[in-house]
Formats: sequence, C-alpha cells, structure tokens
Amino acid sequence: MSHFARRMRYVVKRLLQAIPIVLAIIVMNFFLLQLAEGDAVDVLAGEAGSATPEYMAELRAKFGLDQPLPVQLAVYLKNVMVFDLGYSFRHEMPVSELILDRMLATLLLMVSTIVLAVGFGIVLGLIAAVSLNTWRDTAISIFALITYATPLFWVGLMLIVVFSLNLGWFPTSGMENVAMFYEGWDRVWNIAHHLVLPTITLSLFYLALYTRLMRASMLEQAGQDYVTTARAKGVTENRIMFVHVLRNALLPVVTMAGVQVGALIGGSVIVESVFAWPGLGMLAFEALFARDLNLLLGIFLLSALLVVAVNLVVDLIYSTLDPRIEVE
Amino acid sequence: MTFRRWATGALCALGLVFGGASAMAQKAGGTLVYIVQPEPPSLASFLSTSGPIGLVAPKIYDGLFDYDNDLNIVPALAESFDVSEDGKTVTFNLRQGVTWHDGEPFTSADVQFTVMEILSKVHPRGPNSFREVTSIDTPDAHTAVFNLANPAPYMLRALSAYESPIVPKHLLEGQDPRNSDLATNPVGTGPFKFVEWQKGQYIRLDKNENYWKEGLPYLDRVVGRFIPDASTRTAAMENEEVMYGAYGAIPNIDAVRLRDTDGFSVTTDGYSMINPMALIEFNTTTEPFNDPAIRKAISMALDREFLIDNIWFGYGKPATSALSSNFAATGLYKEGLPNYPANADIDAAIAVLEEAGFAADADGVRATAVLDLIPYGEDWRRAGEYMKQALADIGIELELRYEDVPTWLKRIYADYDFAMNVNYFYQLPDPVLGVHRHYGTDQIRQGTHFVNSSRYSNPELDALLSAGAQEADAAKRSEIYAQVQQILAEDKPVANLFEMEFLTVYNDKLKDHATSALGAYGSFDRAWIDD
Repeated sequence: MSHFARRMRYVVKRLLQAIPIVLAIIVMNFFLLQLAEGDAVDVLAGEAGSATPEYMAELRAKFGLDQPLPVQLAVYLKNVMVFDLGYSFRHEMPVSELILDRMLATLLLMVSTIVLAVGFGIVLGLIAAVSLNTWRDTAISIFALITYATPLFWVGLMLIVVFSLNLGWFPTSGMENVAMFYEGWDRVWNIAHHLVLPTITLSLFYLALYTRLMRASMLEQAGQDYVTTARAKGVTENRIMFVHVLRNALLPVVTMAGVQVGALIGGSVIVESVFAWPGLGMLAFEALFARDLNLLLGIFLLSALLVVAVNLVVDLIYSTLDPRIEVE
Repeated sequence: MTFRRWATGALCALGLVFGGASAMAQKAGGTLVYIVQPEPPSLASFLSTSGPIGLVAPKIYDGLFDYDNDLNIVPALAESFDVSEDGKTVTFNLRQGVTWHDGEPFTSADVQFTVMEILSKVHPRGPNSFREVTSIDTPDAHTAVFNLANPAPYMLRALSAYESPIVPKHLLEGQDPRNSDLATNPVGTGPFKFVEWQKGQYIRLDKNENYWKEGLPYLDRVVGRFIPDASTRTAAMENEEVMYGAYGAIPNIDAVRLRDTDGFSVTTDGYSMINPMALIEFNTTTEPFNDPAIRKAISMALDREFLIDNIWFGYGKPATSALSSNFAATGLYKEGLPNYPANADIDAAIAVLEEAGFAADADGVRATAVLDLIPYGEDWRRAGEYMKQALADIGIELELRYEDVPTWLKRIYADYDFAMNVNYFYQLPDPVLGVHRHYGTDQIRQGTHFVNSSRYSNPELDALLSAGAQEADAAKRSEIYAQVQQILAEDKPVANLFEMEFLTVYNDKLKDHATSALGAYGSFDRAWIDD
C-alpha cells in the first residue's frame, strides 16, 4: 500500500472513531447543563422587569423547555444529525448563524496568538538552550516566569493603560472603529490595529509555556547519543543544533500547541472581555449566564469537533517531523 | 372642571429650552458612540423593560409624550390631550404628517393597536399602566380617545418612548408580537433609524432625515457599543472612543476620578422617572422575620449614610419612607416617619429586639439568617459584607449568599426560599406603577419577578392602595399615601435603605444629552458634539 493511501485510511478510521466520542460529549454536556438552577425563561423574564406566570409558561412551551429531558435530548440529537444546531431564543437567531458570526473574530485572535506564541516561544527557548547558564538564559527564564505568573486581565489592563491611554498607539477595545466604519483595505488595517493588544496579552501567557518547554526539550535532546555520534562524525555545532536537535525538540511543542488550540477557543474569555473582542469565548460566557443551552451546546460541540480535528492533524504532523512514527 | 392643556404651553417650554441652548450654536453632524451594557437580548421595548433595551429603543421609537427634567409633560406623538371632567375619557390629538421609518404614515390606528393589542397584553408593566383602559376610539386618523373604567391619573406618567413605545400596526398585525421580526429589526417614528446590529460589538443607528421635529436630530449617527469589562469601559471613555455611559456603566470608583479630570463630567440627572430604591426584602412568612419587630430593628441598625459614603462614593440619599423623596414633586411623599435613621441607632434597635423577646444566647446571638444579595455587581457584595458586621452588633448573625442571576431570581420569586434579600426596585414616576407591586396582596404572584416576594398581606393597606390608584384629587391622594407610608414604616415588610443615584459619565464635547427626564432612556434627538 502506498504511503498516501495508508494515511487516508488512517484519517478515515480516526474520523469514524470520533463519531461515538462526539455523541458521548453531547449527551454529557446536555445533562451537565441541566444541573444549573433556573432556565432561559427565568433570565428573560427577570430582565424584562416583570412577567406573568402564564407568559412564562407560554415561553417555556415555545422553547420546548416543558418537555421531559429525554425528549429534549432526543430532539437535539436528531437535529444535530442533520447539522441543525437549533435556535437561540435569547438572540432570536439560529445557533449556527450566531457561531459563524463570531467564528471569524475567534479565529483571527486564535491563529495570531498561536503563531506569535509558538513562534516566539520556539525562538526564545532555542536561544535560552543554546546560551545555557549565561545572562541571556537567565533573562529569558525570568521573563517567562513573570509572564506565566501574571494574571491575564491585569496584563491586558496594563497594556491598555500604557499603549492606549498614555502613548495613544492602539485603541483600547473592540474589533474596529465604530465611529468611522472603514471599508476595504482601510478596514483590514483597522481590524489589524485593534488585534495587536489582545493578541499580545493572550500570547504572553502561552509564550512562557512554549519557551520553557522548548528549552527543556532542547537540553534533553542535546544529551542524546545521536548528538554524540553527529559530533564524532564532525558535523558542525550549528548543524547539530538547528537541524538534528531542533527537529526532535519540536515534537513536545507541537503536542502542546495541539492541545491548546482546543482550549483557546473558549479559553480567551478574559481577554475577549477586557478588550471587548467579539469572540466565541464571550458568547459562551454570556450564554451560560443567560441559560441559553442551545447556544452553549452548539459552542461545546464545535470545540469538541475542533479538538478531535486538531489531534488528528497533530498526529499527522508527528509522522512528518519524525518519520519513525508510523500512522496505522 | 375640564382642564385642557394645549400644546402651546409645552411648546413655549420647548422654545425656552431651544432659546437657552442657542446661546451656543448647535453643530449638526458627527457620530456619538456610547456604552450599552450588557448587550441587549433584543430591541423589543414593547416586550421588555430590560435596561439595555431602554438604552437603544427610545432612539428609534417615540412615545405619546416625553417629560422634561421637572417631570412636566412635553408633547411628542400626541400634540395635545384632554381629560374629561369625570376623568374617564382621555382624548389625544395626534401629530400629523409623521411617517414610520419605512415610509408608511403614522395614524391613530397605530396608537389603538399599540395600547390595546401590544402594551396591555405583552408588555411587563403595560397591563398595569393601562389597566383601566376598556377601549380606544379612533374618530379620525389623528384622534385617539381612551375610554377608562375608572380615572387613571398615573397613566399620563407612563407614556414615554421608553415605558410605552408606539409601534407600527402594519408590521405587527396578525403576527405573534413575541416572535416578530420587529424585535431585532425595529421600525419606529423616532429620530434615529436602525441600521445594523453586530452581535458582540455594536448597534448602529443613523439619522432619520424625515424626523417630525424640524431640524432634528443634530447627530448623523448613534452607535451603542458593548464593552463587557468595567475597567475597559473607563479606559475607552478616557481615550475618547466612547463619549457617554449611563446607569453605572462607568463604576462609581472610576466616575469620581473622571469627574475630577478635565474634559469629563458626571451627572445624576436623567433618572427621576426611574426612581431606583435600594432595600431589603424580608420573608414575612417564616421565622424570624414573621415578627415586625426584628424587621424594624434591622432597619434601625443599618447606617444608611455609611453605605452611601463608603460603598457608593457619596451618591445616594438615605431613604426616609417607603416612597422616594422624589414623589414630593407630586405631593405623595411623607416626611418625618419613624424607623428610617440615616445613622445607625444600635441601642434603640437592641431595645426593640429585647422587648419582642429576641434574647441573646451565650455568644450574644439573638437570631441567624442567610442574606441573599442581588447579583448585579460588586457594590452589592460589599454592602452585604457591611451588613453582616453591622447586624452582628445587635446580635443578628448573617451568612451571605451571592448567586448568578437565574438562580437568584428563581430562589426569591419562584421558590420563596430565602430569609432576607438585598435588592433594588424602580419606583417609577407614580407609586401605582412602581410601588404597589411590592406590597399588595394581589401582587403575591409566585413565579413573577420583582413583585411582593415578602408575601406581606394587609387588607387595610390593600384598601388604601386601590383607593390611591383611582383618586383623581391630588390632596385626597396625598392623604391616602401618607397613611400607606405610615403603615409601612411600622410593619416594614421591606426595609428601604437609600434612594440610589445612578451616574452618567460623559465627555464634555457632548452637549444637550440630558434634555429629558428619561435621561439615557431618552432619544438623544437634541444631543450634539462640539469638537
């Protein structure tokens, strides 16, 4: 069997295995969310100021909340089978539309954060490992420790104070300028401008992780037998470091990045809140407090799918980075 | 006596406002970005009185009236009105030549449909405001005659764009109003037209070029932005990305700092129609709060000035009655009632407890209870911490409970599973609209939020409340409410703490944004930017 065909078979097999996992996740999420007191109708009526019990009963009937739980679950599963994520009664919009709306903002933040954090993390870790126990190593380690230990919301607010209020370089919040409503390339530039501070804030935290991981991983690989062999063969130190050791040291970093892509989709609630970034994290957070269960289940399902997909991609990248790892 | 107030009087008042302001020439144009927090669930102000909806919808819809800062009626869609001698017929003469944002003409049929089919049926407070309205006649396209079963003087205070928005019949008729496209795509007659709503970001409204007020609005565009984090809202205000934030969007701790910064100002104007009152609700059906003595003692042991000065940064007024002192304007507020000390009176409170037989045990504890706190921000949590300490001084041991909104609402109003609850109520411009719901026996409505959760029931008070609702004579009415307040000062199913003062923080470049008693729930039609 060719290499490509073997890979395809592997991908298909993994996707089939994912179906029961995702179903189990949906069912678990569904019952977990039922544990919360109160429902969407309580919240809507509470916000409205006052509502009659008849009106609230009517709303519950309309939302399907008066049905027994197993029926609600069956209806939900049936809809998911045909890729219908249901309707958010709070937002009066289909869930899929709401999620798609926010998807772009989340992807922008997520991708730029991962690129920045992984990129800089690898570089810093590499520098620290190469210049082990020098001032450079110490400085990088201290930097990583501080950024890792500082609460995200505080970093965000401090960046706002310094770069928005004092220096005036960046806007404090939002995704674009809503007084001007730019179009075309001006708008792209404007959104990029708004993206800078949230990306830096969110990456600082992850950057520390990757730096530490990369440094440790480089040091571990540098002590391996193949390095001694390469050195004995007369390979230059630079080639040993940047070709042999680096490639092997990347494996744990890739693993970590894979795990975090899934976490990032919901894990940026704090950054989205501080910078008023209209992403999925905030949407999920608000949905929880509004007991908008359809919307929450939709977001959870999306996260689950993403984690499954990313794990698959990571496994494929493994075999590219290290041909000894076979997919089967 | 038939009294007829022609629009001319009000127009003169309007002229004065314009005259006064024209010393500084208004500039047309520009975009006002202001804070809307949290993001509203919809823009259906005819279904919900939710705060964030009120920040947006009154820019799009008009009411029959507006109210100036002294609570005088200012004509809006109704040019003038006429109340018959027996108070049972109210005739509104509607403005001609007004069109909806989609170009259809506005007529008396819209008013009839709005009040009878929408506000009386699906609005949270409408069934109360319009409860005496039996029918509405429309003799011609610009006259609406309200036929009432009993006089309803308070109704004329509930006709603002926020409280009773007039909605287009042609877009709602034959539909389920709770499930209509109008909720997210509003069409009104107001100064601004709805353009788009980017979920999680902003709502954009553009100038209505055909607005019926000549030359208004000045602004080209109004954008409401959602910023979840309070510190970021302050930073955005300082950075001039937003120019206006009301209803505590900028927390008091930052507002007092901005107040002292050049270029920014703080005002407490624009909340007199809302009348927010902070209070404690007691569960009067269970131990220990079924005894009025302990409720009274708690009211005496809490230092209202301490709460205001230390937690709300000096913004607020100690409560002195079950009614806000703002009702003095309509003669309904009674001064000099007992049991509302501005500063704690610990000795007197302990004496009340001793007399009622709440003896202290070995640890000095006379009673224990769980105190629930309204989950609307950190200030309330701090207030709870203060109360825990203050009431320990009179031997009442409290445990604090802070839950999320749905859990809390269900506990207080559906399960009645509480002992005492810190809360705040909007008393609105008339006690019938905002206060009756807290005390009447008919307001013990399990599952309905913000009504009589104390389950206090007093036939004498019920009789007074229903008399007060129908009394057209001002002097007799104030006599009735004096008795109401006297009873509540002794019985204390609810201990009123202080009259809240919400803060509006704004950039000084923004002018004439507070020309209506509705404040942030008003229209911004005369607001302009001086840059």
